[in-house]
Amino acid sequence: MNPTPLSENLGRIQRTALMVGVVGSLALLIGAFTSADQFFSSYMTAFLFWLGPTLGSLAIVMLHNMTGGAWGFAIRRLLEAGMRNVPLMGLLFVPILLFGIGHLYEWSHADVVAADAILQHKAAYLNRPFFTIRAVAYFAAWAFLAFAMVRLQARYDRHLEIGALRQMKSISGLGLVIYVLTMSFAAFDWGMSMEPHWFSTIYGLIFVVGQGLATLCLAVVVASRLARHEPFSRWFEPRHFHDLGNLVMAFVMLWAYMSFSQFLIIWSGNLPEEAPWYLHRIGHGWQALALLLVAFHFAVPFLVLLNRPAKRKMGVLAVICAGIFVMRYAELFWLIAPAGGAPFHISWMDVVAPIALGGLWISFFIRGLRGRPLVSLQDAKLLGKLEEAPIL
Amino acid sequence: MKRRPKSGDSFGFLAEFAGTEELLEAIHACKAAGHTRMEAYTPMPVHEVWDALGHKSHLPKLVLGGGITGGILGFGMQYFASVIHYPINVGGRPLNSWPSFIIITFEMTILFAALTAVFGMLLLNGLPRPHHPVFDVEEFEEASQSRFFLLVPWYDPSFDHDKVPALLESLSPLSLNEVHHP
Amino acid sequence: MIAPGHSLGSVTDKISSIVLRRTTPRGWFIGLGIGLLLVGVLLTAIAELLFKGVGIWGLNNPVGWGFAIINFVWWIGIGHAGTLISAILLLFRQEWRTSINRFAEAMTIFAVMCAGLFPLLHVGRPWLAYWLLPYPNTMALWPQFRSPLLWDVFAVSTYATVSLLFWYIGLIPDFATLRDRAKAKPFKVIYGMLALGWRGAARHWERYETAYLLLAGLATPLVVSVHTVVSFDFAVGIIPGWHATIMPPYFVAGAIYSGFAMVMTLAIPMRKAFGLEDFITLRHLENMAKVILATGLIVAYGYTMEAFFAWYSANPFESSMMSGRMFGHYAWAYWLLIACNIVTPQLLWIKKVRTSVGALFVLALVVNIGMWLERFVIVVTSLSNDFLPSAWDTYAGTRWDWMLYIGTIGLFLTLLFLFIRFLPMISIFEMRTMVPGTSKKEDA
Repeated sequence: MNPTPLSENLGRIQRTALMVGVVGSLALLIGAFTSADQFFSSYMTAFLFWLGPTLGSLAIVMLHNMTGGAWGFAIRRLLEAGMRNVPLMGLLFVPILLFGIGHLYEWSHADVVAADAILQHKAAYLNRPFFTIRAVAYFAAWAFLAFAMVRLQARYDRHLEIGALRQMKSISGLGLVIYVLTMSFAAFDWGMSMEPHWFSTIYGLIFVVGQGLATLCLAVVVASRLARHEPFSRWFEPRHFHDLGNLVMAFVMLWAYMSFSQFLIIWSGNLPEEAPWYLHRIGHGWQALALLLVAFHFAVPFLVLLNRPAKRKMGVLAVICAGIFVMRYAELFWLIAPAGGAPFHISWMDVVAPIALGGLWISFFIRGLRGRPLVSLQDAKLLGKLEEAPIL
Repeated sequence: MKRRPKSGDSFGFLAEFAGTEELLEAIHACKAAGHTRMEAYTPMPVHEVWDALGHKSHLPKLVLGGGITGGILGFGMQYFASVIHYPINVGGRPLNSWPSFIIITFEMTILFAALTAVFGMLLLNGLPRPHHPVFDVEEFEEASQSRFFLLVPWYDPSFDHDKVPALLESLSPLSLNEVHHP
Repeated sequence: MIAPGHSLGSVTDKISSIVLRRTTPRGWFIGLGIGLLLVGVLLTAIAELLFKGVGIWGLNNPVGWGFAIINFVWWIGIGHAGTLISAILLLFRQEWRTSINRFAEAMTIFAVMCAGLFPLLHVGRPWLAYWLLPYPNTMALWPQFRSPLLWDVFAVSTYATVSLLFWYIGLIPDFATLRDRAKAKPFKVIYGMLALGWRGAARHWERYETAYLLLAGLATPLVVSVHTVVSFDFAVGIIPGWHATIMPPYFVAGAIYSGFAMVMTLAIPMRKAFGLEDFITLRHLENMAKVILATGLIVAYGYTMEAFFAWYSANPFESSMMSGRMFGHYAWAYWLLIACNIVTPQLLWIKKVRTSVGALFVLALVVNIGMWLERFVIVVTSLSNDFLPSAWDTYAGTRWDWMLYIGTIGLFLTLLFLFIRFLPMISIFEMRTMVPGTSKKEDA
């Protein structure tokens, strides 16, 4: 296979991303020694941000296995490359497990717990060993599912085994159940327990929806770049983007729906055990960020996507999706950084951490894309689109 | 400008076809002959037919307008009642309890948009209209069941009382009828 | 999605002949008779209620919400499947919906009518129910816009209106078919008036389809909002067991869950009785079974979260509520609902079960019962043990409660039987688009 301009291009991006990742990580390391509390807060936010497209890819592939649809075949390989990053994310979680718990979670301090009846009650769940065991279990489940999906898909691609397809389908049903449950509890552990008195039963689902949204947006952005090149320009059609645009809109609406429901219920209840969480996030200088989320995580994308032509135009859709993807970080920042009533602040690490982890994530993502047909040959034949599956 | 038609004047010619394909062929043939204002009748929605005839509705814009009107009215009503007309402290909630007002605002948006969609569609279609000259053609009963019809009406700019039936006849329709003004 | 060998004419014949034939099967009269009998029960219960007041119900202090709310939520939930099938599946281009959407929409409207009866009667003086609406009045009073009960008024009335419009719009072309096929003069006239002079002009179809799609797009968020508002009736209050942020999505999923179960309960005998196996195929039933399984799992997720957070919250009222539900006076209801809603539907993972008509029918009935119990548990357990132990009391429906509930089932059946006799229960014009060889619908 001769190197194509696209392939060279991707290779360059991969190398640059890796470099950005390494340099950024080194910078963060310095930050970790100067201000560990800030470092772990920034790091956790960036980690949760990039966990989004990793697990979202897994979830959407499993969902697509159940529902089918041309939009899914179009972006399937991108999603597979995304979920291949589960081990990477597992690795990136190790620093938090080893050194971060004490900096992130007040329930990990014996003296705080001793003075707090509520934390004593929760200690059966919120304690270091159990927290670690749960984290390991989550990653084991995710890695197993991702591994199974990639392997079965490869078997199907190579030998056109219908059995593999059927197996994939049956794993997907149960896999989705496992994913939603584990991700919910991971959200409780990693995000919600930063303010250990507070609780909200919908919190896990907001994370799940956010991950799906992040994944779809990233897939649209990548697909729109690829679609500028032969032979992908023949592979991606306006109707794929239209369908993806509809899905993005559905997820944007779902996110807004859940976030608003949570807000309205807590606002109306106005209970001292719940309301402070919002007071931390719509006061102390954070209100501008909250409004930014309303505008750019919901209102603007929603209004643009209501337009039918906008969804069929790759360029417009890609811009909107890129915007939402950035806002995903803004939302996680808004969830994590104000924890405990901290006033508004942005550290340089809040900017560097997502870029550094992103560099690593993207370079591994491209590595997962390259060397394998970017389009499943079977899907391509099935849809009568391409004679041979293009390899990068 | 054509003169005003009288009762019994020709309303146009109505040809009957068995399927979409035949109807589309006929539309293209008539278009080639210079007819621009034809009307087709089908037992179900067929995109190709209205694309061939070049129809495109403005309904979505109307519905958007209806929705925005409903939303503004919805929120306005609640704001007026709770803040201006009868301000009263309820459970310490602010007078302008906007989080609570969003639900009814949303419902009113949907309601107005839906009403606009339905009544806008009927109005633009000129319905209800109990009688139309094509109903006088006996075969037209099948238009709501299994047959496809093409009407070249009198108001078409290149309508010609002799050439139109000849043209339609050449397309071998299942039936061909002249429609009259009632 | 349609059995082979059908043409435009045969589809039209088959469906419209159910409506237009002169003889009526005896089963229809029996069904309608049962329905009317139960309507008699309903009218008796309403008469007694209006004569004596809501004191004849089992309500007490602290349980001020009983059967009326349970049944309201139950019926509204059942209605939601209709909108889901007609609107959401349309947007997702699931063509299998075509043969069941009309039927499901009718079900929605009748279910909303039954649901609406309960709050109307619960207000005590239904003839003054218009006080719920905001209108300028001499007392300068406005309804309480911060109350979810008022949101309900708007949500449910909007829902009823939009569902009715959606249904009627869908019926117009079929009314035209019936007008053109009816032999008897009175039917010709009636169907003709209902058809509004529809003649199937291409430009009309174009606007028609645009309007239909727009309505579907509007109905989708609407249906979600309706059950969300129903869940707000509970969740914005601070009663333990009610005040939970998971309530909106889990109520919506539960509504779809129970609604699909009801569609299944009705569709299975109906397709048998009217020989509609060609149109409502086994694949339809299997697809519905999958939706039931998926939404059932979301409901199970909701229960799981409630149970976990009852403990995690470390709030004594929350945890005593949950242990009350599980081990208290109403434990039987809680465990029965878990068995009906969570345990038995897991059988649907098995393809054999999903494709066995008998098993599906039984499972659907079980889910219907389970979802009624769910609302019973939510409403009654939280209220009967409130914050003040000296005020605790148990609750049970009286015979008037039961008569009213069973009576609305009769009303529902009556309307349904009238519908299948006089209106095409399958959308004829949409089925025509499914006939191979005619043009397919382009992607929406």
